[in-house]
Amino acid sequence: MWHYAGGVMQMISTRNYALSLEIEELKKQLKECGESEKETVSAALKQKKKDLRKAEGRALLAEINRHKFIYLLLFIPVVYYFIFKYIPLWNGQIAFREFISLKRTGITGGKWVGLANFKTFIQSYYFWSLIRNTLMYSFGKLLVSLPLSIILAIAIYECTHKALRKVVQTLSYLPHFLSWVIMYGILLSLLSPSEGIFNDIIKLFGGTPRGFLTDTKAFPFIVILSDAWKEIGWSAIIFIAALMGIDGSLFEAAIVEGANSWQRVRYITLPSIKPVIVIVLLMKIGTILDAGFNQLYMLYSPAVYSVGDIIDTWVYRGTIQGQFSLATAAGIFKGVIGMTLLFISNWASRKFTESSLF
Amino acid sequence: MAKKNTYNSVAVKATAADRVFNICVTIFMILLLIVLIVPIWSTIALSFRPPAYIGSYLEGMFLAPWKWSAGAYKSLLGNQGFLNSFWNSIKIMVMGVVTALFLTIPMAYALSVKGVPGKKWITIFIMIPYVFNVGVVPTYLLISKLGLTNHLPSVFMPVALSTYNMIIMRQFFEGIPNDLRESAFIDGCNDIQIMFKIILPLSKAIIMTIGLYYAVAFWNDYMRSLLYLQKSSLKPLPLLLRDILIGTSMNDNLEANAFGTAPIEAIKAASVFISAIPMIIAYPFIQKYFTKGTLAGSVKG
Amino acid sequence: MKKTLIVLLVALIASTAVFAQGATEAKSEGPMTITMLYAATQTEVGSLPDDWAGYQILRDKLGIDLQLQMLPSNANDQDVAVRTMAAADELPDFITVSRTVWADLVKQGMFADVTDDFAKMPERSKVMFGPSSKAFTTYNGRIYGFATPSAYAGNEGLLVRKDWLDKLGLKAPTTLDELYDVLYAFTYNDPDGNGKNDTYGYGAFVEDYVAYEAYPGRRFEPLMGAFGVEGTWNMSADNFGLRIHDPAYYDWMVFFKKIIDNGLIDPNWQSYKKDDFRAAWKQGKFGVFREQNSAYASENNYSPFDKNFPDGGFIVVDAPVGPTGKNSVGPLVEGFRIFAINADVSAEKHAKIVEMFEWMSYGEGYMLCGYGMEGVNYILDANGLPQSDASLGDMGYNKAGGQRYIQLRNSSFNYNNATETALRYPAYTTAVSQKRMSAGDVLIEMQGKTWTRTPGQNSMPSPASTDVYTFYQQGIAEFLNGKTALTEANWKAFVEQFDKIGGLEWEKAGYEYAKENGYLL
Repeated sequence: MWHYAGGVMQMISTRNYALSLEIEELKKQLKECGESEKETVSAALKQKKKDLRKAEGRALLAEINRHKFIYLLLFIPVVYYFIFKYIPLWNGQIAFREFISLKRTGITGGKWVGLANFKTFIQSYYFWSLIRNTLMYSFGKLLVSLPLSIILAIAIYECTHKALRKVVQTLSYLPHFLSWVIMYGILLSLLSPSEGIFNDIIKLFGGTPRGFLTDTKAFPFIVILSDAWKEIGWSAIIFIAALMGIDGSLFEAAIVEGANSWQRVRYITLPSIKPVIVIVLLMKIGTILDAGFNQLYMLYSPAVYSVGDIIDTWVYRGTIQGQFSLATAAGIFKGVIGMTLLFISNWASRKFTESSLF
Repeated sequence: MAKKNTYNSVAVKATAADRVFNICVTIFMILLLIVLIVPIWSTIALSFRPPAYIGSYLEGMFLAPWKWSAGAYKSLLGNQGFLNSFWNSIKIMVMGVVTALFLTIPMAYALSVKGVPGKKWITIFIMIPYVFNVGVVPTYLLISKLGLTNHLPSVFMPVALSTYNMIIMRQFFEGIPNDLRESAFIDGCNDIQIMFKIILPLSKAIIMTIGLYYAVAFWNDYMRSLLYLQKSSLKPLPLLLRDILIGTSMNDNLEANAFGTAPIEAIKAASVFISAIPMIIAYPFIQKYFTKGTLAGSVKG
Repeated sequence: MKKTLIVLLVALIASTAVFAQGATEAKSEGPMTITMLYAATQTEVGSLPDDWAGYQILRDKLGIDLQLQMLPSNANDQDVAVRTMAAADELPDFITVSRTVWADLVKQGMFADVTDDFAKMPERSKVMFGPSSKAFTTYNGRIYGFATPSAYAGNEGLLVRKDWLDKLGLKAPTTLDELYDVLYAFTYNDPDGNGKNDTYGYGAFVEDYVAYEAYPGRRFEPLMGAFGVEGTWNMSADNFGLRIHDPAYYDWMVFFKKIIDNGLIDPNWQSYKKDDFRAAWKQGKFGVFREQNSAYASENNYSPFDKNFPDGGFIVVDAPVGPTGKNSVGPLVEGFRIFAINADVSAEKHAKIVEMFEWMSYGEGYMLCGYGMEGVNYILDANGLPQSDASLGDMGYNKAGGQRYIQLRNSSFNYNNATETALRYPAYTTAVSQKRMSAGDVLIEMQGKTWTRTPGQNSMPSPASTDVYTFYQQGIAEFLNGKTALTEANWKAFVEQFDKIGGLEWEKAGYEYAKENGYLL
């Protein structure tokens, strides 16, 4: 049955192609012919164009009909999206209204106050500093953690020592479960000016100890590297799964042609998992203004606010002081930026790598 | 992984470059091992730290195990609510993962099929809520209207279909050769049958991975349980652990506290391990499905 | 026909009467359900058990079916929970709420006016409601909630290591100069005699945001007090303002910087969290710090220090006197816990809630909420005081099994009677050094030191924008870390910029609030 349907599709598309050729031909004629013929030619052109539109409509219907089971599969998830994602989004308008409660004002009953909350955020004394810090951390983490987790996945895949591979694979994802409270304790013990290991080494070489966690120069590195420390094993899991799907015969062919291990990684392994890397990258770009609230809230202090304060920590301090509507305004600001960047990078990715989200 | 030999069987002798490659990989792995051991081991040592301990973290790492104290584990596991909370968390996780996969797999498969009219718009439709995060209250209002508050599903339902996980899964499905799908059509299968008979058996690794991602997210969830589960009997483990941590560090005004046997740092560290137990147990099983060339074999067969 | 009609009519009237009576009976005799959101004494031990005798007594005597909902343990989580419940109209009938959230919700009309209910609570009024308590929950001249004391005022003090003083032949410091010398000696003269230069004079950490104790916060107040700049605000009528505007604040900064530059303070003070700080003094890393009475002296909290330093010990000293003769341990702030009634409850239920709240504050209700059930969780001793006797085993009110029965303690205790204090902080003998310790005695000693009386500080407004306070903290921290050189010109420029981005506005809002509520001294 499906084979037959496929055949019909073939026929339809062949006919549509023929129609479009005829239209092109008529267009040419229209340019070349004299005034007298013009009317009849353009009428014919109109008729053909109409035919094509109809045919295309039929083709679309046939295409939809052919995929009806796909739509069936999509039905429940799409309903889910409507209920659990779009209703909250609709409810989000309370950020622009004088909302009190469901009974007192309802979602739409409060007076529209518009963009006042946005203004508070955008006109903040620290606005640009917040944007700069947020982008610094999210791009920094992307640049450090993503390549490292890919390298880790490839190393686990290629490692010939079975025991070593097993141990690393099992241990590498564990730090993901250590909360930032715990990680902070570990970092403090490494970096503390009075008893940290790093300062012990500095003292050994006659230097003066430094409080790295309160040093504006060292702080960004600590944030980015400690994030990599905690998360690369976890992020690598997805790439390991991708590596498992590579067709072994590709490697056989490469070996026959005399490719060494480096070349195999370069020409087979990496290209094979490239689509997954691109998708992970695109998804991270969509939420680029989430720079890791839990980590920074734990690690920063007033001494390093100038390099440590990100949008989310700033908003959180505001909410503690009772400015609740700021959170939604900042969330929507982050969404607009994320959406814009997502469209741009999706377009670029479709153009240059042939994989894209939509 | 025995399958590696399938292509090594045709291998010519390893060249110098191959040997350098292997050495580099091994060195990288060993370095990584050292770097990863530090936080894990220090947390283990910390969780067994005895009360009245003097010395730095580093010295604590090398504290002899016979000086260790299990006080932190005792006070956590001995909490009256522990078993109940553990059981609540298990229920949330199992129900959540089943629901999540039930929603995620069909959508990921449907969006991986090429040439479906409207696919692009559906993808944009799902990306909008992924990018826009409207905060706590709007979702709370929905859950409240649905009457889900004080029911365990309220914890996982708002995130039962994670756009990120679904898109990643779709990417893996897209990697399955189209010939397989086409030949199934010829055999008279429809898309739903294809999903079950062809796609799923070839995608165990990614389904396990995404299942793990969901499981961890549901298991560790804190904020939603806090808001939606007000009944104490429904309290899941992360909430209880947090109560214990905060309670222990806020005991200033209390004449006694139930957790006097262990320092707060030890309780923090021990709670990390207790809450990671199911994941530590589950991961090796999941690794079993991470075998090379699963796809290639089926294409040939 | 007529007969049957009459019979029917009679039957109808009779049944109406019966039903009507049934309805009124149900109304007057069936218990009224009251839902209450409460802050448990110790969240992690679980909710108040169903066999707590108070439930039945409330049902029998007051006609109330009490249903409890516990707030989460963390203060910020509590705020989020109450706000979201209010947004969804799910607030219980009787609510424990923080001042910040209360201030927002009261403007939205979420809470009932209770101004006239105080007269119905004679017993509670005797011990709890003073003018400052009522002012705490006043909005537009009416009172929208019961503010009860939430903690002991003045329960912190400046502690000095007595054994270190003795070893170095120093006397307890009374002036700022003497304190400086002590800090210096504690840092460089090896007070613990281990041959290593591993001790510091002062120890501290930066507390979370508190409206009345601005950065660097509470742990430094005894030093700031020597310059007269303790607390966020100067509440005096003729000199009202932010402390940062006081010229003496610069002198304090110079002094603070000197301590930092000479290495007299544990350099981790900016990185420590509360638990790190407490672990540090228990490990003997520094010798002078401000600490809370129970965190210092109650049995579980003191025992690690006792094991580490059996010969060690602390004295509570008064805050050092500064160059102009001023001293203060810090602003004395009365803490309150707000209990508000949902504006949507009926007048009848409102009255019942007031009745129940009064019941909790004295006699039987007080004992049930504060100590649990007699014979199960406590027994009365010869003086008629409740004791958690060994015979009660695990069910004693301060034991693991019995603690669940005192979860409602916050709605009955009043934090200002000697009996409660004595029972709360019993004297004990330390395990290793065999000293007699009592956090209650320490509390009384701490309260006797010099404090700055500043009513209303804890309800003073926060700055309109986060930026203002961020600028405040960041600026001071950068002076202290040497990122900005601490010169008079730089300081002046910093304060001017602070005023420009909203500091002056904040001060003005504070002045108006203080004036309106009669907090000016």
